[in-house]
Amino acid sequence: MTKRLRLPTIMAFLLSVMIMISACSGGTGNSGANGAGSASTSSKQETSSGTNAGSGNDNSDPEPVKLSIAWWGSQTRHDYTQKLLDLYTELNPYVTFEATPSGWDGYFDKLSAQAAGGKLPDIIQMDYQYIATFSNNDLLADLQPFVDNQTLDLGRVDENIVGSGRVNGELTGIAISSTAMAVTYNPDVFANAGVEAPIPEWTWEQFIDAMTRIADNTGKLGTESLIDTQTFSYWVRQHGQHLFKEDGSALGYEDDAIMVEFINMVKSLQDNKSMPTPDERAQYESRGKEAMPVVTGDAGVRFDWANFTVITAGSNPNLKLVTPPLKGGGENGLWIKPGMFFSVAESSNHKEEAVKFINWFINSKEANDIIAAERGIPVSSEIRDYLKTSLTPQQQDMFDYLNVALQYSSPIDPPEPSGFAEVSKEFIDAVNKVMYDQISPEEAAQNFRKVANQILERNAN
Amino acid sequence: MKTILMKPMLKRSRKENENLVGYTLLAPWLIGFLVIFVVPMAASLYYSFTNYNMLRAPRFVGLDNYVRMFTQDDSFWISLRVTFFYVLVMVPLRLAFALFIAMLLNTRRKFLGLYRTFYYIPSIVGGSVAVSIVWKQIFGNDGVAMSLLAAIGIEQRLSFIGNPDTAIWTIILLGVWQFGSSMLIFLAGLKQIPSSLYESALIDGANAWSRFWRITIPMLTPVIFFNLILQIINGFRVFTEGFIITDGGPLDSTLFYVLNLYRRAFTYFEMGYSSAMAWALVAIIAFFTLILFKTQSSWVHYESKEGGR
Repeated sequence: MTKRLRLPTIMAFLLSVMIMISACSGGTGNSGANGAGSASTSSKQETSSGTNAGSGNDNSDPEPVKLSIAWWGSQTRHDYTQKLLDLYTELNPYVTFEATPSGWDGYFDKLSAQAAGGKLPDIIQMDYQYIATFSNNDLLADLQPFVDNQTLDLGRVDENIVGSGRVNGELTGIAISSTAMAVTYNPDVFANAGVEAPIPEWTWEQFIDAMTRIADNTGKLGTESLIDTQTFSYWVRQHGQHLFKEDGSALGYEDDAIMVEFINMVKSLQDNKSMPTPDERAQYESRGKEAMPVVTGDAGVRFDWANFTVITAGSNPNLKLVTPPLKGGGENGLWIKPGMFFSVAESSNHKEEAVKFINWFINSKEANDIIAAERGIPVSSEIRDYLKTSLTPQQQDMFDYLNVALQYSSPIDPPEPSGFAEVSKEFIDAVNKVMYDQISPEEAAQNFRKVANQILERNAN
Repeated sequence: MKTILMKPMLKRSRKENENLVGYTLLAPWLIGFLVIFVVPMAASLYYSFTNYNMLRAPRFVGLDNYVRMFTQDDSFWISLRVTFFYVLVMVPLRLAFALFIAMLLNTRRKFLGLYRTFYYIPSIVGGSVAVSIVWKQIFGNDGVAMSLLAAIGIEQRLSFIGNPDTAIWTIILLGVWQFGSSMLIFLAGLKQIPSSLYESALIDGANAWSRFWRITIPMLTPVIFFNLILQIINGFRVFTEGFIITDGGPLDSTLFYVLNLYRRAFTYFEMGYSSAMAWALVAIIAFFTLILFKTQSSWVHYESKEGGR
C-alpha cells in the first residue's frame, strides 16, 4: 500500500523539478531587462550587461576580466567601435567586452532601468544632458584618483574640457570628444535652387530668405525641423540669456517674447513649406542619420553637431558645415561642448580596467585610427596633431569648423538639470500646438514657462 | 518536502497524499506566480507611496503621489480621457463587427474553416510590434493610405497619424481589425442557440430583424457579457500601438494611460509616481468590472433561468 501512495508523489516531485529547471535555464533574463528599451534600435549583441567573470581584484593583471560597455550611435559607430573593442582585446588578451550598443532613443531609459537593478555597465557613454542626474544620484565613480595616479593620462587634454566632466567637484565623466552645434548644408540643393551657399556671418533673416527660396524654387525642404531645446538654447543665448537658471531650479530667461519670436519664425517656415510639419518630421526622424533629408538631397540644411558630416561621409561626401545663423546685434550663442563622455559605474568591480580602456581610447594612435573622429574632435592635442596628417575632407572640415565656431562662442552653460527630459518634451509640445494652429505663440510661451518651472521645481527636491 | 517524502508513508492517509501530489505539481506555477506577480505587485504598491527615481533608494512620501495625480497632473486626465474614448469607441465597434462576421460565418458555406482562419489571423498577430510598425507605415506620411487618397485627387499635407484629430482613429481601427478572437467566441455562442427557437419564431411569422433582436441577442447575452469584460479590460491596457505608431502624439491625442505611465517611470525617472498611476488604473478597471457584474442580472440571460425575461 505504501508503494501505491509514494510513487505518485515522487513522480510529481520529479516532474515539478524538471519543469522548473527547464523554465529557469530557457530564458536568459533578457526579456525583462529589455522591456524598457525595446523600441531602441540595437545591433548584434543585445545581451544582459553587468555580468563580470573576473574576480574583482583590480591589481592582478592576468586575471581575465569582462567589461560591459554601452554606447549610443548609428550603425557606422557600432561597427567601428566593435572593431575597437576587438583590437583592445588583442592587445590585452585578459580583457574581453560585453557590448550593448543602441540608438539614442531609449538609451537613457534603458540605463535608468539598469541603474534600478544595480546593473549599470562598467563603461557608460554619457551625455552632458544626463551627467548631472546620474552623477548626483551617486551612480558614477569619481575618476580623479585615477588621474592623480596617472592611470588616466589627461596631460594633453585642455583643462576646460576636462572640467566639463566635473559635477559637484567629482570627475564623473571623461570627455572623449568635443564638438559644437553646426549647420550641415547640402551644396547641391542650394545650387539647384539658385541660392548662394551660407557663410559664417549669415543672419537669421538671410537664413529665412534662403530657406524660403529653396522651397519656392525646388519644392524641397529648406531646413529640417528646428524645434528642439538645443537649438532654442542657442537662440536664447544669442539674446544674452540662458535657458535654465544656474542652479537648474527654473527657466533662466524672463522675457517670453524670446520664445514667441522663435515660434513665429518656425511657424512661418512651416507654413511656406520650407520646414517640415511635426508629422513629416516624425516620419524621417526614425531613420538613421545616414538617411536624413539633408543627406539625401531633400533638404538644404540641418542643425546638428559638428561631427555630422563625418558620420554621413559614406552616404554623401559633399556635405559642408557652417555656423548657425547670427542674430543681428545679438551675442555669441555658440558653445564648445564635450561631445560625449565615458563614465564608469560606481557599482563596477573593474574600475581600474575600465579606466585603462578609456585612457587607451583617448590617447592611443591606433585606437584613433579606427575612431577617425566619428564621435567628434579628439580631446588629446597629440592625437589631433597626429590625425592632421591623414584627415579625410570631412574630418578636416570638422577640425576647421571648431576653430571658426570658437570665434562665435561664449562659455558653456552648466549641465542640464534633472527633469530636463520632461521639460524638453513640454517645449516641443508647446511649439507643436502652435504648428497645429491650436494656440497662439504667446499662450504657448506662457504655458511652457508655467509647466517647465513646475517640473524643475519638483525635480530640484 | 524531500524529507517528508523520504519518511515511510504508512501512517499517511490517502487523501493527504493526494493533496501532496497536487501541491507538488502545482509548485512550478505557484512559485512563478509568487515571484513574477505577487512580489512585484507588493513592491509596486510600496513604491506608489514613495519618491523613487530608480537611481537611488526610494523615499517615503505618503499619499503625495496620489494627490499630485488627481490635482496637479494634466497628463493624467488627458490620458484618462484618451483611454476612455478608445475603450468606449473601439470595444462596441469591435464586438459589433465580430458579431456581424460571426453570424455570416454561422452558415453552411463552403470553405467555412478557411474564412474563419483568415478572419482570426489579425487578432493573433495584431497586438505585436511588427503590425504596429506596418500600421505606422500604411497611415504615415509616405504610406499607402496617403497615396490612395492622392490617387483619387485628395491631397493633404498631414497624414492620418500626424493629424491630432485622426490619429486616435487609426489606432481604434487597429483594435477593431483584431476582432477575430471575439468573433470565434461569438461563433461558439451562436452555435449553442437551439434552432427550435428559430423554427417556432418562423412559424409565428417573425421576420429576420425580430428573430435577431428577440432570439439571437438575448440568448447571446452571456457571451456578450464575457466579451465585453474581456475587451474592456484589455482596452484599458493598450500600450504597444500607442508607443510604436504615434508615441502619444500628436499633441497627446493618443496618450494612452499605460503609455503615460511608462514614460513617467522610465523617461522622467519617476517610478514612485508611476506605480501610483498603476494602482489607480487597477482601481478604475475594477470599478468598471464591478459595475458590469452588478448590472448583469438585469440584462444577461442564462440558460438556467426559466423562460427568460
